[in-house]
Amino acid sequence: MATLTSSNQLTNSYRNRFTVLLDTIDTRTIVFYLILFLASTFFLFPLVWMIGTSLKTIQEVGQPQLNLLPIDPQWGNYSKLLNEPNFYRSYANSIFVVSLVLLGTVGSISMVAYSFSRLEWRGKNFVFALMMATLMLPAQATLVPQYVLFHNLSWIGTFNPITIPGYFAGGATLIFLMRQFMLTIPKELDEAAMIDGANPIQIWWYVIMPLSRSAVATITVFLFVGQWNNILQPLLYLQRSDLYTMPIYVAQKNNLQESPIPWQDIMAASVLFVIPVIVVFIFTQRFFIQGIAATGSKEG
Amino acid sequence: MTTGLDPRFDTLIWSFMTIIFIAVGSYILGNIARYLARSFGATVAEQRRTFWGVLFASPWILGFIIFVVGPALASFYWSFTDYKLGQEASWVGLENYRELLLGQGAHGRRFSQAMYNSFYYAIVGVPLQVTTALLMAVLLNQALKGISVFRLIFYIPVILAGGPAILLAWRYMLSSNGGFINTSLSNLASSFFLFDWLYRGFIYIVETLNSFYAGVAKGDPIGPFKFAIPALLGASILYTLVRGEWDENKRGRAMLVTEIIGLVMIVLMFARAIVAEPVEPALFYGVSLIFTVGIFYYAQQKEKRQLRIWQVSGVIAFASFLALLIGFETPEVQALYLPAVLISLLPIMLSFFLLGLRVKNVVLLGSIGVLVALIFARLAPIDLFAGKVNILGQYLTFQSSLVSPYSLETLQNFDSQHLPALWLYGALALGMGVIGLWNNRHPKAQRAVIIGLCVFFGIIALNATIDGFRYFRAYPEVAEATSKPNYHFALFNNTVTTFPDSNRVPLWLGNELWSKPSLILITMWSSGAGMLIFLAALKGVPKALYEAAEVDGASATQKFFRITLPMISPAMFYNVVIGIIAAIQTFESIYIIRNTQTQDSLASAAIFLYERTFRQLAIGDGAAVSWILAAIIILLTVFQFRFSRWVHYEA
Repeated sequence: MATLTSSNQLTNSYRNRFTVLLDTIDTRTIVFYLILFLASTFFLFPLVWMIGTSLKTIQEVGQPQLNLLPIDPQWGNYSKLLNEPNFYRSYANSIFVVSLVLLGTVGSISMVAYSFSRLEWRGKNFVFALMMATLMLPAQATLVPQYVLFHNLSWIGTFNPITIPGYFAGGATLIFLMRQFMLTIPKELDEAAMIDGANPIQIWWYVIMPLSRSAVATITVFLFVGQWNNILQPLLYLQRSDLYTMPIYVAQKNNLQESPIPWQDIMAASVLFVIPVIVVFIFTQRFFIQGIAATGSKEG
Repeated sequence: MTTGLDPRFDTLIWSFMTIIFIAVGSYILGNIARYLARSFGATVAEQRRTFWGVLFASPWILGFIIFVVGPALASFYWSFTDYKLGQEASWVGLENYRELLLGQGAHGRRFSQAMYNSFYYAIVGVPLQVTTALLMAVLLNQALKGISVFRLIFYIPVILAGGPAILLAWRYMLSSNGGFINTSLSNLASSFFLFDWLYRGFIYIVETLNSFYAGVAKGDPIGPFKFAIPALLGASILYTLVRGEWDENKRGRAMLVTEIIGLVMIVLMFARAIVAEPVEPALFYGVSLIFTVGIFYYAQQKEKRQLRIWQVSGVIAFASFLALLIGFETPEVQALYLPAVLISLLPIMLSFFLLGLRVKNVVLLGSIGVLVALIFARLAPIDLFAGKVNILGQYLTFQSSLVSPYSLETLQNFDSQHLPALWLYGALALGMGVIGLWNNRHPKAQRAVIIGLCVFFGIIALNATIDGFRYFRAYPEVAEATSKPNYHFALFNNTVTTFPDSNRVPLWLGNELWSKPSLILITMWSSGAGMLIFLAALKGVPKALYEAAEVDGASATQKFFRITLPMISPAMFYNVVIGIIAAIQTFESIYIIRNTQTQDSLASAAIFLYERTFRQLAIGDGAAVSWILAAIIILLTVFQFRFSRWVHYEA
């Protein structure tokens, strides 16, 4: 009798475990995962198609076909591209321009944000309101006269129009983001440093900057993605083929009047172009999400 | 500066010089601030703080002066000149703005086309984009394992869409002949009977919608009904006024709105008269209708009071307008417009002389009389009264710009010159509808207004769609005559806009009919930024609300529409406004995906600005464009700031 009860309990407990398992994977969850996978396919597909195309032959690319990856991957498409001097030069130009812009902008923005968040001075509120007002002014409003300005400086055909404005703390959103972050650092730290005889420059560099690493990372990531993809300014200002950055190089590859269009070459260049952005994004997505949550916009 | 040096080295030197410039500038600005603080009587410690504060803020202050204020002032000045890079500028006054805003000349027409494209992206694209973002956010708001990986995947398109690479991939995938999307759709359609019908239905719907858009943007949808529509609308509104029992409060508000609409129309009439632009008949009809309505308000009042604003300002406006017309216009223009001006003066005269009589009957009889007269004028012999009757008739019952649908000439000159009329009629209809709906004591009267509005917009929709169909059907001929490349349209041999055969494919980026839907598809794909904003809003909805609803037995759908949507309405509003601003500013994606055929049909306002300024180097015109865009965007932003509190839902 006793054994019978215990075996009954045993089967019951197995049954319970089984139903618990069934409960965790209920239909609703399965449907949600299914939709999530389908949606992910939609969002990732152009990227996968780009990679697949970059490994095909020109005959495959020219005809209607559905296979994602070719049976015989043509790595030669990449080696052909890597032997092209224009490709190297554009890549180097892009890296050069982006690093200069990042250095200048991040440095100047952190200075200005420091002033707006931690220094008390007469007229601060007015200047800050003025800065916030420029948020409303679209880039188009100053695009035309800035072009004339750079033309008169004979900077057309140099990197200067893209890199130099960075030193002047462009982008009110990013300053605002940085300021909001710096406001959360305790005031006592500045005061302690002040008592020890540090001047504001020292406080900024030795106290505030090390503590604002995550804000600096956020705006760096924003600026990096924006600049790496930037096509308008290079298009306007770099009017020499030896200065072209990667976005222009990739766009120009498509404009060649070739028939059939060598999509496999264009896509190979595109893959090499998007790799840095994707790598940076995957490793820093935390900062992206923070930044968008703080400012509510993607362009920073 | 650039010769002989490596351009990168040159830039490094300039960067170094810039840093020195900023350092020196900061020091000078800091000292100026210190001096100013001292003269305002600040303490020494305060002066010191001000020095440091301005020193640190001055990179931005210097940049603001050099790159924002200075350029903005210069461009504001240039927008009134015909400045071209490398040439002397000369003052042209409002000429640039006039051409752009009225869509005159080749550039003005292209600008209005670009603005209409932006409008299309805002009306069709933004809702789709926001819906996609919301669906994505709802999916990601589930408590499932590994959801952060999906969030990562959903956001990847946003960072890619800014650059040319993925846009080129889209361009390749969307090739109409053998692209991945069309090939897979055709394969699916040939395998599944049901999918085939869905697919063809989809093609038909998209083509019809785009024909409608082309008809609105390019044709003359109200053309044949320029008289009939106001008459219809007027009749329905008069009916509401006669049948209604107004409470005094609402009557007062209705009267105020009537006066505002009337005054706006008068101002518009003046503005157009001043720039020597033909005055749209809609204006006359509008003013006329407003005054007719005014008479009824007045007649229904228990005690007759003194003159209303609309009577006084109406008389002044008409007197001065007549003076302008007679004083400055050529005899042809006078002959064309005098009758209409006089017709619209009639109700004012009536309002002065017939008050106290049975006004209703008089005006109704008068309207019928005018209608009969117009029909007569339309049918009258051409040379009656030296052709004036005929001109009047033509003028009052405008023929469509596409009377002969397959005439190449009309199609090639297809442009948006009739658009102002459309806007005026639309605004008029909506304004009058609002007034009519205030009369809420009488359901029949309200129904009359709603029916009137539906008929009005229905007629416009139908007519625009027909115009668009004609435009696209004749396109192969136009392409042949203008030697534009035409192989995309050859794919369907004039069968566009009929229900598609089973071997038809969407044409995507290759042509006008599908280029805008293609762009919208790409923006839907990259709507992850809006998704993150929705996600943050969804996380902020208090759980207690859902629990309370569950206790009350609400279904999931009810919870979504009654709790979630109202609670995230600020995020929704924000996303919509930001989406509209982005639609005006779209540049990269259009620049990459367009080709010679779709150049005009895809161009956004930002693309027009780029081409006009940096391709044709017309700085003056470009500056005017940039100020118009800036004004629109600033208005939208202010609107967003101002009204974001309204949509906020207090729990």
